[in-house]
Formats: sequence, structure tokens, C-alpha cells
Amino acid sequence: MSKGHHGAIKTVYALILAVIITGAIVGVATWYFTRPAKANVLEIYHWWTSGGEKAAITALVGVYESKYPDVGVIQSPVSGGAGYVMKALMKSLVLAGEAPDAFQLHAGYEMKPYVDGGYLDPINDLWSGQGWETVFPTVVKDMVKFGGNYYAVPVNIHRVNVVWYNKAVLDAHGISANITTWDAFFAACDKLVAEGMPKPIALGDQGKWAATHVLEQIIASEGIGFYQDFINGKVTSATNTTLRDALTKFSKYLSYVNDNHAALTWDGATALVINGKAAFNIMGDWANGEFLVANKVYGVDYGTFAVPGTEKMYGLCIDCFEHPKGVKHPENSLNWLQVVGSKEGQDAFNPLKGSISARTDADTTKYGPYQQAAIADFKKVTYMYPSVVHGSGMPEAFTAKLDDIMSAFVDNKDVSAAATSLTKAVTDASADFTKVWTLH
Amino acid sequence: MKESVIAILVLLPSVLLVGYFVYASIGWNVVVSLSNWEGLQPSYSIVGFRRYADLLYDSVFWISLKNNLLLILLFVPSSILLGLFLAILLDVKVRAEGVFRTVYLLPFALSFVIIASLWAWMYDPEVGVLNILLENVGLGFLKSGWVTDSSIAMYCVILALTWQFSGYTMLVFLAGLRSIPESQVMAAEVDGAYGFSLYRRIMIPQLKSSVLAVFVILMVFALKGFDFIYILTGGGPGYSTFVLPLEMFRETFSMTHFAYGAAIATVLFVIVMLIVVPYLYMSSRRREE
Repeated sequence: MSKGHHGAIKTVYALILAVIITGAIVGVATWYFTRPAKANVLEIYHWWTSGGEKAAITALVGVYESKYPDVGVIQSPVSGGAGYVMKALMKSLVLAGEAPDAFQLHAGYEMKPYVDGGYLDPINDLWSGQGWETVFPTVVKDMVKFGGNYYAVPVNIHRVNVVWYNKAVLDAHGISANITTWDAFFAACDKLVAEGMPKPIALGDQGKWAATHVLEQIIASEGIGFYQDFINGKVTSATNTTLRDALTKFSKYLSYVNDNHAALTWDGATALVINGKAAFNIMGDWANGEFLVANKVYGVDYGTFAVPGTEKMYGLCIDCFEHPKGVKHPENSLNWLQVVGSKEGQDAFNPLKGSISARTDADTTKYGPYQQAAIADFKKVTYMYPSVVHGSGMPEAFTAKLDDIMSAFVDNKDVSAAATSLTKAVTDASADFTKVWTLH
Repeated sequence: MKESVIAILVLLPSVLLVGYFVYASIGWNVVVSLSNWEGLQPSYSIVGFRRYADLLYDSVFWISLKNNLLLILLFVPSSILLGLFLAILLDVKVRAEGVFRTVYLLPFALSFVIIASLWAWMYDPEVGVLNILLENVGLGFLKSGWVTDSSIAMYCVILALTWQFSGYTMLVFLAGLRSIPESQVMAAEVDGAYGFSLYRRIMIPQLKSSVLAVFVILMVFALKGFDFIYILTGGGPGYSTFVLPLEMFRETFSMTHFAYGAAIATVLFVIVMLIVVPYLYMSSRRREE
């Protein structure tokens, strides 16, 4: 009896001991992972991991380090094209209260969940203090503004409405690159088909978005007014003739693309143009890097023209950085943003990245021949429009579905089904269309 | 008594950690699925089964569920049968058995990401080895778009998965076959059982526990497999290879619909439990016997 009693006391002691030990382990671990970092560092997350991209962000960090030599910069690159891996990771980190001092985001709607959740601090003072109001174009400013407040600083601009062509192929077939209408474009394709190039357009839509990217440019070519309606969520009828016309054009476009497009990535499609296996490719101007790596010379081996019908437009894909609420190093974070938005920072980053400065006062001498042409266009165009595919123009609840709808369309080319799905997706996400874009 | 004290001491940390990170998280996920949490800011006000009702009207959910069922109906039995077939082939004491065993098992030793990338290359309609092979052996008419053709994409996924898993099932079955006492086999042979009938009547019936274990593992994978399909097709073309985990990821992280994603996760959890619980029941009953 007494032995049993003794045993029970022992069990109780053991239990208490076990609780204490477990508590100690969990406590120490919790303290270790949540303790305030003392070191003077700046931690940034981005998805620039390929050669040119890495060089570009290193140059930008270099500008920061030269101004703030006592701050250690921790770069946390997350590989995965267009940030599809990092976007999910960052939502988890922010939700867990572990936002870094700044992280890469596409401007526009991609910022909305963070702004709505109250995870970003407005940086109006920084904008006015740096005089950025006057050097960034209006649409670009709108893309980082929510409810009248600035929440981010754009670091670059990629143009999305670009047709890349192989000059030797066009010359050999006597085709002029002065193409400004879809009729002329398809006529050029027909000529190439007739003269022995059965698939003159390169497409690489493994990962789906590259197909949507083309449709987006076709929608823009229907006119800036229609594009504005579309991204403002006003196109809600499946019988909308302009929408159906855009889908019909896209269907025709698809009849000229390589058979293995769904197994090819976007850069694989660019390679088809570089190697002369295809003549044309619609892609954002990050494709320029592929031509440079292949030692091709702009204007000699390859060239570009605006997607037919969009000569007066500049389609914008913009990366930005922002100031998350409650970051560990708020001062470093703001200083970083200051460098990101500065002329010096942008002119260090963009020549290597292949994009152009989001500012209108870039030092053009630092840029390559393609970029100089792009900067000239950027200053000349009448309209700018935010890309949908690249996270800016429309809510993510719509964009996530858009890729799947277009992937189905590429497969079945059913205009009515695609128009129905698209407009239904717009209606379903109607509550999320909180931004009103003014593009013209 | 002392032993039980030590047992409690040893078990407590893991019980607490598993309790928190597994069971409490599952409970939390159910709570989230009943809440109105939209966007990145957590919100736990309970709105009931609204998300589950939405699921009923979500065509992508049904397509995904259908594809998961297709995986269960085709991938699970074909992996078991192929594995059994390979195990029997190896069991008849072939020369260089070790080499074959390694060759068959190798696919399973590689990560899903690698295998999926490999098959993505092989399936490439233009430069992929499958179409080129068919062309070269005069079977050009069999050339296909494989994973890029929505009507057969899901079957291509199942084929690739079966290829990866059959080596593993082979190994389990081979171990099962080898554990059958030699005396039984010899006795059966004395009674006139040879070749096929020896396997059908004597060997295979004794593999029941191996089959059951493999069955559950394959079933659970058929339901929760994400990485393989994400890399190989990304759910495309269109929604043709969407499965529930893919849909859950897209809703949660691409569209920031946390409650909805949690509802899909709960549905998945319930389906997995429907498979795992009977298995646990059966295996515990067998142990008691």
C-alpha cells in the first residue's frame, strides 16, 4: 500500500519534471527564434536569382552599402520565375509577423492583400521628401498608391507589349518589320508559312502565364478604353464583341505557334527566335537578356516592334519594395527605399536587369541599345497600362483563375467558353476591384 | 512504477509537440474553414459551413476531386499489380537480382521534383524522347501531345507516377514473398503446385498484409500528392490535371482565400481518414488475434 502511494508521488514528481523540461525546451526555442536581432542589418527578400538579375540587385545593394557602410545587408533570394515561390512564402512570413525589412513585390493589386491586412506602412513622407512625385509618371504612381497613400517604391519598368523578331529571317523573306496592325502581322505569318516556315510564332507557355501574357497585349490592342474597362472589372458580358474579337485574334495567333508550346518555358520560346526556328515572339523585355547571352546584337541580329495596335502604349510590369509594419530595422528599411527610388540606384540596377528606370530622368548613356530605344518610347507614348498577368492590373482572385482559363483556351480554342469563364471570373471577384484605373 | 515514470518522461515532449503541431493544427484548420478569414489578416469569427457550401458549386473543386478519384482508381491498382509482377519475376531467382532490384527501386529513391522534370522532358511533343522513339521505330502515328493534350494529360501523370512507385511496391512485395517459409513452398511443390498456381494459391494470399500496407500508402499519396503534379503539369492544360492539394494551394496562397483553402484541406483530411481509420482498425485487430 505504502509502496503504491510512494510510486504515485514519484509519478507526480516525474510529471512535474517532464512539464518543466518540456517548457524549458519550448521556451528556449521560442526565445531563440523571436529574440530581437541586435546586429545592424538590412534584410531583403527578392526572387532575382538568374545571372543578370543577380548582378542587378548586387549593384543596387552596392549603392546602398556605399552610403551606409556600417549596415550589413542580408539578401534572401528565393528562386522561382516571376516570384511564384516567393509569393506564397512571403504571405506565410508576413502572417507569422516575420516580415523582412523590405521585400520584392509587383506593384498594383499584388500589394493589396498586404495593404488590406495592415502589414505595410504608408511612406508618403518619403515620397514628398525625395521629390518623387514629379519624376515618376502618373500611372506608375497610381500603381503603388492605395486609398491615396503611397505604400511602395518602384524599382524598374519592364515593357510587356513587345514583339521580338529574328532579323535574318524577316530579311530572307522580304518582310518589313514596320508592322502596326494585326492584319499586317498575320499576313507576314502567312507569307512565312507559304515560304516554308510552318510555325513562325514562338510560344512557351509551360507555367501557363506566357499565353495569358499574349492575350493581355491583344486586349490592349483593342484600345486603351477597352483595356481600362477590362481591368476595372467592367467587362462582365460574355457576348461583349470586343472581348470576343480579342479572343478570336488570339485563336488565330495560336494557329501559328510551335506545337510543343505547352512543354516549353518562355525562354525556350525566345531561343526559337534566336535560332531562327521562329520569326516572332511576344514577350516582356526581360527577353532581351536571352538575346544578349546568345551574343546577338540589337538592330543587327534581332529587333523589336510594339505589339500591333499598341504603338502608343507602354505596358508596365513593375517591381517595387515597401516598408512593412513593425520591421526590425525601420531606419535601414526606409534608407533602402530611398536608394531604391533614387536616380543613382535605378541607373545602377536597371542597365543590368534589362529593364528601364521607372523615373523619367534616367541617364540613358548607361543603358544598352534596346533599352535606349525603350526609354525613348517610354517618353514618347501616349498611354501606359499596368500588366494583369504580372500582378498589377487586376485582383489576384481574378488573376489566379485567368491563367487556367487561358490555358484551357489554348487547348480548345473555344471563344464562347473562354468569354463566359472570363466574365464569370470577373463577376466572382467583383468585391476585390477596389482600384479605379484612369489610363486615358 | 519507475518504468512508467520514465516512459511518461520520455513520451511527454513528443506527445506535446505532436499534439500541438499535428492535432491542434488540424483542429485550427477546421476552425479556420468555418471562419470568415479572407485576406492576409486572420479573422476567426465563425460563419458556419458557408465555405463548404461554396465548394459544392465550384467546378474546379469537382474536377480536382474527379482527378483524385482517377488517381485512386488507376494509379493505386496499377502500381500494386506492376510491383507484384516485378516482385514475382525477381523472386524466381534471376541472375544479378541485386542489379534489377536497384534498377527498379531507383526511381523511388529520387525526389518527386526530379522525376516530374524528367517526365516533362520525355513527354515534350517535339524534342521529347517518347515521340522521337515512336517516330524512329515506325510508330509515328502513335505520336501524341502527352501532358500538353488535355484529354490524356491525367493518364500521362498516372503513368509517370506508376513508374515511380512500382519499384517501391516491388520491394515491399519481394520482402513479403521472401518471408514465406521455404518449407511451405516445398510442401506445395510436393502437392503438385508449380509456377503460376504456386503463386496464385500459396504465395499471393500470404501477401495480404503487404498489400494492405502498400494500398494505404498509395491511397494517401493519391490524395495528397502535390509536388509531382505541380512540376509536371501545374494542373494544366486548363484544369485537366488539377487535384485537391493543388486547388487548396491556389486558393490559399495565390488568391489569399484562407478559409476556403482550409475547407478544401478539411475535405481532404476527412477523405484520408476514411481510408486510414479502417486500416488502423484492421491491423490492430489482426495484432490482437
